[in-house]
Amino acid sequence: MGNSISRALGKLFGSREMKILMLGLDNAGKTTILYKLKLNKIKTSAPTVGFNVETVTYKNVKFNMWDVGGQERLRPLWRHYFPATTALIFVIDSNDRERMNEAKEELYSIISEKEMENVVLLVLANKQDLKNAMKPQEVSEFLQLDSNLKNQLWCVIGSNALTGKGLMEGLSWISNNTNKK
Amino acid sequence: MSGIYLSDRPVRRAQPVGNSLMRKIQRACRMSLPEPDLALNLDIADYINEKQGGSSYDACNAIVKLINNRDTHTAVFALALLDVLVKNCGYPIHLQISRKEFLNQLVKRFPEHPPLRYSKVQKLILTAIEEWYQTICKHATYKDDLNFIKDMRRLLKYKGYLFPRIQAADLAVMRPTDQLKTASEIQKEQEIAQAAKLEELIRSGKPEDLKEANKLMKIMAGFKEDNVVHAKQSVNNELNKLRRKADLLNEMLNTTSEEDLQNNETIEELYGALKGAQPKFQKIIEEEHEDDGLVQDLLKFNDVVNQLLEKYSLIKIGNKFAASNINPEAISTQQIQQENGANGGALANEINLIDFDNDGETASPSPAPQQLNSDPLADLLGDFNDLSVTSGDTTNQPISLGVGEISLDNPFTSNNTSISAVNSNNNTTTNNNNTLDLLSRLGSSNNTIPINTVPPPPPAPQHNNAEPLDLFGDFTTPETKTVPQSSERILVNSDANLKVDLQLNRESDSVIKAKIFFSNLTFNQLTNVTFSLAVPKSMQLKLQPQSSSILGAGAHDGITQDAWIENALATSSKPLKVKWKITYTANGAPVENTAVLALPKI
Repeated sequence: MGNSISRALGKLFGSREMKILMLGLDNAGKTTILYKLKLNKIKTSAPTVGFNVETVTYKNVKFNMWDVGGQERLRPLWRHYFPATTALIFVIDSNDRERMNEAKEELYSIISEKEMENVVLLVLANKQDLKNAMKPQEVSEFLQLDSNLKNQLWCVIGSNALTGKGLMEGLSWISNNTNKK
Repeated sequence: MSGIYLSDRPVRRAQPVGNSLMRKIQRACRMSLPEPDLALNLDIADYINEKQGGSSYDACNAIVKLINNRDTHTAVFALALLDVLVKNCGYPIHLQISRKEFLNQLVKRFPEHPPLRYSKVQKLILTAIEEWYQTICKHATYKDDLNFIKDMRRLLKYKGYLFPRIQAADLAVMRPTDQLKTASEIQKEQEIAQAAKLEELIRSGKPEDLKEANKLMKIMAGFKEDNVVHAKQSVNNELNKLRRKADLLNEMLNTTSEEDLQNNETIEELYGALKGAQPKFQKIIEEEHEDDGLVQDLLKFNDVVNQLLEKYSLIKIGNKFAASNINPEAISTQQIQQENGANGGALANEINLIDFDNDGETASPSPAPQQLNSDPLADLLGDFNDLSVTSGDTTNQPISLGVGEISLDNPFTSNNTSISAVNSNNNTTTNNNNTLDLLSRLGSSNNTIPINTVPPPPPAPQHNNAEPLDLFGDFTTPETKTVPQSSERILVNSDANLKVDLQLNRESDSVIKAKIFFSNLTFNQLTNVTFSLAVPKSMQLKLQPQSSSILGAGAHDGITQDAWIENALATSSKPLKVKWKITYTANGAPVENTAVLALPKI
């Protein structure tokens, strides 16, 4: 009820706010993406122990972006960040074919959580600049989201955090696809 | 599916919005209830405990809204529900009720100046705050997180509100339980608390909270080992506390007269604490089975507790004589050793095995006469299989140090060897009293070696080595002391879990007395132990009730039962045959054994 009012108001004034959770295996590029979006700069970062939060405003939408470290020991803690999430950005290192399966497993374990039922899912096939990287199409096929996600909006976009390619497309996809809800 | 029709389901009002938690809360506080629905309230508590996550936050928000409902009924029910949650959901709920926003909401309908007469709801709210203040704010593990409750109480007091006096009984409910917890239980509690805190910090989203959340996340993810150490530490502390309690109980049992005992609350309490802790021993042993020092300590301690409990119940039924037979001195000596062991605790097992090498005479490992069915111990033994124990000059060895490990090593390196092997071994190593000594000690303290196979006491005790011999005496189970060892034990049955043997005495020409002993060969409690016996028609059987139907972990002769067979003539030529049946429950699975046993002629 309250939600719909604020949404209506948001429509009126054209501004919205949403919580976006960015997860993915370690070394996928989450933190780089976050700071590329926020500062438009490449910030070399040590592996995230803990999380980073930044607010990115794009087309009247305030994205509260939560980037949680992806190391194995941090993964059990991901679930604490689930509540009130509007969209999940799952970042994949497209170049790391060996850990593709691991990434897939983690992704499915996240979206099978009850709290994540209603989020829209954006998969960023990151590191597209690398030669050996899997194409977004391949990643999409590998993840088999098509056959496994019935009620959820999802999308796979190729990205390159260094140049920022694909990031804005991702955000606008999210904002377009959460509008209607 | 349109139109009006009655379905199988009860007719309801339109479903309130929200998830099932919200629905449950709504239902628990609906006006039409005659009184708080305790079952539903507990159900909600269970739900929150199971779901964790945001459920406690959601629940508290919903409840405080209902407390502020204009309808008094609803508000009272909501407060009752909140009370149940605070008492049953632990830290996650405590954290929620101590949020500033929550507390402000809670007293939303309190006027600036106290009214002449409090409304029912106000009274209940004041009671609740006072109760929290007296209990969780003072005793909870994470009481530092609950400061806003104190602040709110202070503020209300300052404004002139009076808090009702709380019944001691009500306070007792929320006192922290002194119950012994295993390391993993402590860790689990800690994890739940940290998770709740982390989620709360993330939810609030204030910069300083986020900073703290980041720190907390590092602790939760990076320093798990730290948590483990901490948990182990607290287990040790708890055990030490229990040991002191055991000491105290022993002392009190010795000094208190029978009449006093009937209504001595302290003794009751100590007894309760020890009894309550016993099942946990097994769990701790299961968890910590690599830590042999601790396991040994615990096994010994468990024996002490068993003896104390037995003694207590004997005194209780007025059997002073038998009680005094449970050697009090034994317990206290052991107790001292316990304390030593406790101080060393985990440390002891780091140093123990090294010291035993001082003078090269290798003792051949004495084989064990008993197969051992318990996994934890078997595991332990595996670790020590390769170790050869050397022991010659026992005089200058710290006796209390590594005895557990020594005995672990030698008796069990080979299983199922015959008793005679022990005896021969006995002869070959007579100069090695220490080992033998230890062997027998282990046998009795683990309750795995039947009495008649315990090797004879070591010959010629060395004078400066009196302590272990003492201990030997002490460790034999008290029950066997009180029973005259007039005849051999006859093995009735022995399976993976339970050993039953009996001792026959001819009391007269026609009467045979049989004393039946039950020994638990496992480290699981056996329950519903029942034994029945049938004799030929020409005879009469008088079977006394068993001393208990529950056989504690590893209890040697933990249950006894007396039976008299009348008209069993000594002159009879045929051997006396009895049919027996034993049933018990092990690990939840019922077991039944039955057979016919021919008793030897006596």
